[in-house]
Amino acid sequence: MVLTGMFMLGQLTCFLIGGLIAPKPSTAQYNLCTKCYDSTGNRTRWLYPRGKGACKQLESLDSALQAENVVFTFQVPLPRDNVTLDYTRWQQNLIGILQMDILYSKDSPVEEGAKLLLDARLAYANWKPGRKGQTNWEWYAESIEERVLECTISEKKEGHPYVCELIPLFELGSLHHDFYLLNIRLPVFKNKPHNKGIGIPQDMYLVTIYQNGGFTKVWFSIKTVFTPIVLAALVWFWKRVEAQGRPPVLLEKMILALGVALQFLNIPVEWFTLYFDMPYMLLISDVRQGIFYAALLSFWLVFTGEHLMESSGERSTLRTYWKHLSAVVTGCLALFLFDLCERGAHLANCFYSLWATPVGTRLALALIIAAGVSASLYFMFLCWTMWKVFRNISAKRTTLPAMSAVRRLHYQGIIYRFKFLMLTTLVCAAMTVIGFILGQVTEDKWKWESGNTALEIEYTSAFYTGVYGMWNIYTLALLCLYAPSHKLYPPERDPYASTNSGAEEIEFSRLDTDTTEISALASFAKKAATD
Amino acid sequence: MTPIVSVLIVFIGFTCLLLVGAMVPQSSARVPTGRGRGSKWWGIAKVGEPTNLIQNTIRGGGIGGSYLEPVVQAVLRKKQQRLVRENRGVLEAIAKGANEAIVECKHQFRNRRWNCPTKAFWRGKNIFGKIVDKGCRETAFLYAITSAAVTHAVVRACSEGAIESCTCDYRLHNKYSRSMSSDQNWKWGSCSDNIEFGYKFSRDFVDAGEKIRDMRGTMNLHNNEAGRMHVQSLMRRQCKCHGMSGSCTMKTCWMRLPNLREVGNSIKDRFDGASRVLISNAGSLRDFGRRTRYKFQLKPYNPDHKPPSKKDLVFFEDSPNFCDKDARYGVSGTVGRACNVSSMGVDGCDLMCCGRGYTVSVKTVVERCKCTFKWCCQVECKNCTVTRTYYTCK
Repeated sequence: MVLTGMFMLGQLTCFLIGGLIAPKPSTAQYNLCTKCYDSTGNRTRWLYPRGKGACKQLESLDSALQAENVVFTFQVPLPRDNVTLDYTRWQQNLIGILQMDILYSKDSPVEEGAKLLLDARLAYANWKPGRKGQTNWEWYAESIEERVLECTISEKKEGHPYVCELIPLFELGSLHHDFYLLNIRLPVFKNKPHNKGIGIPQDMYLVTIYQNGGFTKVWFSIKTVFTPIVLAALVWFWKRVEAQGRPPVLLEKMILALGVALQFLNIPVEWFTLYFDMPYMLLISDVRQGIFYAALLSFWLVFTGEHLMESSGERSTLRTYWKHLSAVVTGCLALFLFDLCERGAHLANCFYSLWATPVGTRLALALIIAAGVSASLYFMFLCWTMWKVFRNISAKRTTLPAMSAVRRLHYQGIIYRFKFLMLTTLVCAAMTVIGFILGQVTEDKWKWESGNTALEIEYTSAFYTGVYGMWNIYTLALLCLYAPSHKLYPPERDPYASTNSGAEEIEFSRLDTDTTEISALASFAKKAATD
Repeated sequence: MTPIVSVLIVFIGFTCLLLVGAMVPQSSARVPTGRGRGSKWWGIAKVGEPTNLIQNTIRGGGIGGSYLEPVVQAVLRKKQQRLVRENRGVLEAIAKGANEAIVECKHQFRNRRWNCPTKAFWRGKNIFGKIVDKGCRETAFLYAITSAAVTHAVVRACSEGAIESCTCDYRLHNKYSRSMSSDQNWKWGSCSDNIEFGYKFSRDFVDAGEKIRDMRGTMNLHNNEAGRMHVQSLMRRQCKCHGMSGSCTMKTCWMRLPNLREVGNSIKDRFDGASRVLISNAGSLRDFGRRTRYKFQLKPYNPDHKPPSKKDLVFFEDSPNFCDKDARYGVSGTVGRACNVSSMGVDGCDLMCCGRGYTVSVKTVVERCKCTFKWCCQVECKNCTVTRTYYTCK
C-alpha cells in the first residue's frame, strides 16, 4: 500500500514538474530572409545581413539581376530587446523548414511538379572570449538539394499569393555553436528543368525549431533522478531471482530485459552534449526509445502467453514465441531502417531528406507500411492470446471449488496477478493515448483560474514528463511486485530463504498481503501447471 | 479710365482677395481642420522619394542615431519620434508599410469612383488629400489599411532581424521566470511571437495622435484597431511533426504572417458593410488614460443594427458622391475615367460616370503581353498589337 502511494506520488510529481516548471518542449522561430546582393556570383562567399561586413541588401528582385546575384540569407537566432541572442547547447537540436512566398501571374504560374534546386550552405560562428564580438563564419555543411514545389491558390488573380507546402530543409542533431548562417541560392542551369516555372518568388521564410533550454534541464533532471532508482530496483530484483536457486524463468528474464531497456533509455548520456559536439544524439535517442518499446511489447506478449495455464510443464523459452515476437522484431527493424535512412543520413548531410526523391519516398513508405503491418499483426496476436487466457480463466473458475486448497490458491493467484497487470497496463496505455490525443486537439496551455491567481499548465511538457514518469513507474512496479518471493511457502522449496538480508524482509513486508501473495506466486507460474 | 481709378480697382480687388483669403481659413475652421491630425505620419511614405530631397534618409543609416532628418521630424509627433529613435530600423519598416498601404489601397479601389488618389507632389499635407478631413467610409478604410500595413511591416522586419528591439517577453506562469532577462528568457523558454510586438508598436505609434475626446478620434482609434485585428486574425497556425522517427509525438506550431494582399482583401470586405455610428457618443467619452483608451462602445446610427464588432470599419459622415470635382475634399471627379461597359457594378459605365454618359474610342495599340518571369529576374514580354475599345466617362 505504501509502495502504491509512493508510485502515485511520483507520478503526480512528474506530471506537475512538466506542467508547472518546464516551458513547452520546443519553439519555432519564424525568420524572413534578407535578400543579399552578390556581385561576384561566387558561391563560396558568406553573405550575412547583420554585423560587421554585412551584405548589400536588395529591396526587390528587379530585372537587372541574375540568378547568381541573389542570395537568400538567414542569420539565426534573431536579436531581441537590443540583445544579440545566441543559441545555447541546452537547446539541443535545430530543425529548419523552408517556405516560399510566391505570387501568381497568369503567364508564368507555378507549374505542376516544378522542381526547386536549392544551393544551401550553412555556417557557424561563436562568441569571442568575453562576448566581445563574434568569430568569423566557418563552414558547417553544404548541399545542392532538389525539392518539389507544391503550391495552391484559391483565387487565380494577378499578383495574389500562392500557399506553398512546407519544405523540410535541414536537421542538426546538435546545437553546438552560438550562431548559424544559412545562405541559399537558386541556381539556373541551361537544359535543366530546375528553378523554371516556379512562379514569381518574392520571399523565403525559414522556420527554425529548437528544443527549449528549460525543458532540456527538466528532462535531464528527471532522467538523472530515475537512473539510480531503476538501477537499485534492477539489482534487487536480480538478487531475488538468484536467491531462488534455480535458473530464472522466462517471465523473470523478460522483466529484467524490460528493466535493462528502460535503464538504457534512462542513462543521461545527454549531459555530454553540453561539452561535446554529438550530432548523432537524435539517432541514439530514437534507438533507445525503440529498444524500450520493443522490450515492452515483447514483455506483454510473453506475459499473456505465460498465463495461458495450459503448457505441458516444460520450460518455455523465447523460441516458443518466435512467431509472435517476429512481428515485433520486423516492425522495430523497419522503423530502425527508416530512422537510419533519415536521421542516419543527416549525419553525413544535414540537408538530406528521404522524402525528396521518388525512390526515397517509396522506400520510406515501404518501411512505414512494413512497420504498420507488423504492428497490426502484433496486436492481433496479443488480442488472440488474451482471448485464450480469458477463456481459460473462466474455464478454471468453474473447476476451482473442486480443487485442493493449495492448487486453488495457486490458480487464484495466477488469475489475480494477470488481471492486476492487465488493468494497470490498460490504464497506462489508455492514459498515454488519451493524453496524446488531448495534446493534438487542445492548445499548448491549459488555464485554471481560481480567484485572481491563474494557474497555467504547460500541457505538452506535462504530457511528456508525465508519460515518461509513468512508464518508469510501471517498470519499477513490475520489478518490485513481480519479483519472486521466498515467503509464505514451505522452506524446503526455497533453500536460500534464511540467507536473505533483513532489509529485504522489511521492504517486502511493507506490501499488503494480497500483493505479496501474488508476487510470491510468480515463481510458480510455470511449475505444476497441469490441471 | 484714369490710372487712379485702375489703381483703386486693383486695390479694392486686392482687399477683396485678402478678405476672401481671411475668410477661407475661418470657414474651414468650422469644418474642423486637423481632424486627420493623427494621420500625418502617412507622409513617411514619400520621405524617401527624390522629390522630397532626401534619398538616403530611409536606406543608408542616417536614421541610426538619435538624430532624425527634419523631413521625418516634420511628419512625426513627439511620441512617434521617440518611438522611432528608441527602435532602430523601425522607420524603414514604417515607411515600407506606408508605401505598401498606398499600393494596396489603390489596388482595392481601382474600379471604384474613388480610386484612392494620392498626391504626386507631397508638401507636408496629407498624402491622401482632403478626403481625410471627412469622417466617411473611405477615411475609415485609409486608417485601417495604414494601421494594418504598419503592423504587418513591423512584424516582417522583426522576423528579418531588421529591428533589434523587438521584445522577447516570454511570460511563464511562475514567478521565477518573470524576473528573467530577455537573454535568460530565450535560453529557458522562448520569445513571444513577433505579432505581439508589431501589434503593440502599431498601437503606440499609429494611435499616438488620436484623442478619444472627440468623435473623430474615437472613429480613428476604432478603425486603426480594426486594421490590426485583421492582421492578427489572418495569422495562420502551421505545425511540424518532429518526434521519434519524425512522428507526431512531438509537434511544434507557429503563426504564419499573412500576405498584405490578404489583409487588404479582408478589410475591403468590411468596407461596404461599414457601420455608421452615432455622433452623440463623442461628448460622453473621457480620456481616462491608457487602460480605458480602447474600452469604448460605439452605438450604431440605426438602432436596429448591431453595434460594430472589433473588425468592422466605422464612420459617421456621408461620403461625397465623388462624381464631380469637389475642391473641399480634393475629389477630382470621374470625368475621363475608364469604365467597363459590360459591368453592372461600381466599375460599370452607368455608375462610374454618374449618368453623364461615356465616349467610345477604338484604338490600335502595341502592348507588352504574355510576360513570363524567368528566375532570376528577367521579365520577358512580347509585343502584341491589339485593337482596343476604350470607354471613357464624359
